[in-house]
Amino acid sequence: MLTRIFPTLGRFRFTVQIIMLFVTVYGGALLGTYAVDRISQALPSLSCSYDNMTGDQCILIVTQHQLHHRIGAALVNAQYAAVNVLIPTLISVGTFFAFFFFLNKAFCGWVCPMGTVQELIYRFGRRIGRPFHRFEPGNVGKVRPIKWLILLVFVLGLPLLAGMGLASDKLGAPFCQVCPSRLATTLLTLDAEQIAMQTSSGIGFMLNAAGNALFGFVIIAALAVRQPFCRICPLLSWNAMFQKLSPMRLVKKQNQKCEKCSICQIACPMDIHEIGREHGSKAFHEDCTLCGRCAEYCPDDDVIQIKFFGIKLFGSSLQNYKKRVKQESPEGMPKHAVIWITPVKE
Amino acid sequence: MISNSVAEVASYKGLTMNNNVLLKATSVMWLLLLLFSAMYSYAAEHEHQHGEYGDSPAGGKVKQSRHSMRDAVLWTDYPTLKIMRGGEMGSRHDVMLLPKNIVPDSIDAYSSNVKAADAHRQLPYDLVMAKLGSLSSGGFIWLSARQEAAGKVIVASTVHYVSERGSKNPTAMFMQQKNALEIIPQPYPREHTRYRSNEDWKFLVRFNSLPLIQQKVILMTQNGSKISLLSDVHGMVTAHIPDDFKTVAEISDIQGNRSRRSSEFVLATEHLSAGKTYITAFNGQYAPDAFSQRSVLAGLGFMLAGMAGATPLLRNRRSAKKTSETAKGAL
Repeated sequence: MLTRIFPTLGRFRFTVQIIMLFVTVYGGALLGTYAVDRISQALPSLSCSYDNMTGDQCILIVTQHQLHHRIGAALVNAQYAAVNVLIPTLISVGTFFAFFFFLNKAFCGWVCPMGTVQELIYRFGRRIGRPFHRFEPGNVGKVRPIKWLILLVFVLGLPLLAGMGLASDKLGAPFCQVCPSRLATTLLTLDAEQIAMQTSSGIGFMLNAAGNALFGFVIIAALAVRQPFCRICPLLSWNAMFQKLSPMRLVKKQNQKCEKCSICQIACPMDIHEIGREHGSKAFHEDCTLCGRCAEYCPDDDVIQIKFFGIKLFGSSLQNYKKRVKQESPEGMPKHAVIWITPVKE
Repeated sequence: MISNSVAEVASYKGLTMNNNVLLKATSVMWLLLLLFSAMYSYAAEHEHQHGEYGDSPAGGKVKQSRHSMRDAVLWTDYPTLKIMRGGEMGSRHDVMLLPKNIVPDSIDAYSSNVKAADAHRQLPYDLVMAKLGSLSSGGFIWLSARQEAAGKVIVASTVHYVSERGSKNPTAMFMQQKNALEIIPQPYPREHTRYRSNEDWKFLVRFNSLPLIQQKVILMTQNGSKISLLSDVHGMVTAHIPDDFKTVAEISDIQGNRSRRSSEFVLATEHLSAGKTYITAFNGQYAPDAFSQRSVLAGLGFMLAGMAGATPLLRNRRSAKKTSETAKGAL
């Protein structure tokens, strides 16, 4: 029954993504007005607190607030640190990890509303025949450090300095001001407030300008590039810090055929070329979102697997590969028409 | 099998990033953005330099004193409960309540967790202030001061929010009867949000748990607005929070270091029953309109600039074909 509804992992993931898009964007309406406190306030995906209908909030807003309102102030008043800083911060990270432990970075590939929005735009781009761009191994390395830089500066550094009084108070949650998910999720609830830019402060204006321009760039770029924002998303780097601590893993066995075949790396929406070349722990790269496309498109039995506590949840196979390529090429070109639009043959 | 895979690769019609299209487009976009931002922010800073306080370390004294001066002016005759956060060390757990226009017999706190041992407790009150202290559960806390004297029952209520994971849905607590005459938010703004100008919010007016129909309710704000409302057949009043910030100078939060503007409002009603006069008020804070000191036009402009920055990515069909052919040739 389940295999008829979800013949491929891709179909299953897409269904989960759509459900999670509704939960993360409209969850407050579904689960009651005061859902945020009751769930986690520390979700490992870009579920935005600026969205008045959201079901839960992203760990990054909590982190920025704690650094801004508590840690910075507490460092000034050091004796309060143990009670007011360590415990709340440990609770936040602990709550985040309680969720993260089970799904690891599948929160990026399966739950994140911004990831889903980009993926939907990319699918639309394939339908209307936009070109497809991908990063070569030489270039992808230039982009990868950006997510760490954003994490260090925008999520951790500036809020901490603002909390200590060493930077403007407007820098209390700077990442949220540039995060495209803030605009995407609020626009999905027909709330235009976040598009409007602050004009009362230069810093607020600059952050909003960067955020709006980045959002505009991402939604157009997503027509031609897979997951353009995910590549520089600080939540990906945040999650990467914990990915080795979760029993949910992407596992790849060494296989001689891999040298001649590169389908898995073409299928990878994050252009992780290492998945084709490496094996063992190196194959589970810091950029991996556990979407499972590499495992779906690998034609060799059990070379790539998604495992939980060592138990195989999904493994590559010739059968899965054949089913998958009938629906979609590795780079995401659909093979079938939907009712309202047919794929453009290139 | 491998030949199948290679065939799939050969049919791959992708465009690689040899020409750094994405990186070049991004660089140009950010340079333009930086230029626009610098120009606009310079103008914005000059426009608002007189209305905004400078940034200071946590607990800036200058801002706090200005706020206190404004607070010292009584803006309403209705009873209110003012929440004072911070204490000496600026702790968010150190919450004091200052009753105004009421000399309470008691001040009570009601927790969102109606089943908790301290779901309802009386707060220590020293005739000037009451201390909320720490609660076993956070979330939304209903605070209520009550005074009964000379045939009058006066009640002032407000809501305090303490962010806490796993806290209970406060709807049951809001709806439980706490006093005879009550004004209950339907709903109260959700976590991390607040009342704002130009928004409509509903409140239930009831007496001994029964809705009061055609009951007169007064909405007063610290910024000087006074509006008379009437409850409907369900005892509900819809309060339109007035946009009256333009008349007052920009202020900051109680701690002074958040530089967010906010003001206070009170909803009050009076009811006569069995020879007693009941006066009940619900007060809270509200912020300026969502679009106040914001520009949609500038927002759309920068969004379009970002979109324009990405359009080169959509226009490389010829080179895409070329790359595809090269890939096929190579294989």
